[in-house]
Amino acid sequence: MSEHPRENDDVFAERVASVLRAPERFDDDFERSLVDAIHSDRPIDRSTEPRRGALSFAWWSTPRRMDVSPVMALALAASIAAVAALGASNLAPARIAATTPSIVAQAASAPDTVTLVRFVFVGPAKSVSLVGDFNAWGADATPLHSTGVKGAWTVSVPVPSGRHEYAFIVDGARWVPDPYAPTSSDDFDTKSSVLMVGT
Amino acid sequence: MSNSLTSVPDEHLVQASLRGEVEAFAELSRRYRDHYTRFAVRMVGNRDDAEDVLQSAFIRAYRALARCREPDRFGAWLYQIVANECRTFVVRHARREKRLARDQLAIQAIAVEPEFDDGDTLADVQHALLQLDVEQREAFLMKHVEQLSYEEIAEITGDGISALKMRVKRACARLREILEEVHDV
Repeated sequence: MSEHPRENDDVFAERVASVLRAPERFDDDFERSLVDAIHSDRPIDRSTEPRRGALSFAWWSTPRRMDVSPVMALALAASIAAVAALGASNLAPARIAATTPSIVAQAASAPDTVTLVRFVFVGPAKSVSLVGDFNAWGADATPLHSTGVKGAWTVSVPVPSGRHEYAFIVDGARWVPDPYAPTSSDDFDTKSSVLMVGT
Repeated sequence: MSNSLTSVPDEHLVQASLRGEVEAFAELSRRYRDHYTRFAVRMVGNRDDAEDVLQSAFIRAYRALARCREPDRFGAWLYQIVANECRTFVVRHARREKRLARDQLAIQAIAVEPEFDDGDTLADVQHALLQLDVEQREAFLMKHVEQLSYEEIAEITGDGISALKMRVKRACARLREILEEVHDV
């Protein structure tokens, strides 16, 4: 690089990018492996047929209940208030560990194909986000909000019925599965949590 | 490969896949695999991991196919999943990458480097690219290597255009810094 006179960013970027544009291809074994993997996987989840209307509004118009313990209610007061405004009502026991980082995913049943699920993370963190197949594993798509109680983070997400995998990303880098949920490992032996909704 | 599928529109292949016709999904994979292979290789840094990441992304896409709201834009929807899978892989493997980077620095310190030719080699640039944080790496690749518009990148990543421009600018600055260091050793 020192052999080149100082270039502007566009010229520099183009020169670097032209090197990176070298083609990369996989052969048709890719599809053979893919088809084998699909055949050995579970069948496609048909309970998530395309929804009528926007996902983000589908659950608003349907009756639903949210189950939260008194301890959780205290920890999640701020977000519960928001949910209550949308029509959630009954409170009932739920599980939570007070001394170790803990995560709880609670499903609120709904008669539609979409269910409101409250995800809770309790543990030391500066930021927490939820990743799962229902948000295309987008690390920035679903941040959890601090409840105002130290260490408690929550977000409620409408999730289609069926089997889902999810995990939390803590402080933008640490991958944390739910210690209380069944786990599933991917090809890299990284564990994600499994959530069954509406089944 | 079934020649009869090559002219079938994406949306019909998506519907067939939803009916359980796996070969229809394999055709979608053949149709888009090459578009995303280079991006995946550059993002994760090697072909073996990139192939695993792409396989994982395509399987996730198959499982989530019912949530593809615009089947005629399947390719754009798939790109989102591929990009997220690459990003997730990088985050998950950050520790391993740091260890490898340390190893590589140690190797560089003891290696007798041949004279540099005039151009940057792919290995040089790939090595520099892997030192960018994941968001800068993704933004630089999409903008300058895959030559997407900022609007297209925003649609794929869900990030704002001004933030993306800043990431690309910072990526350029960091790449320049890293490559200058390498060549001045």
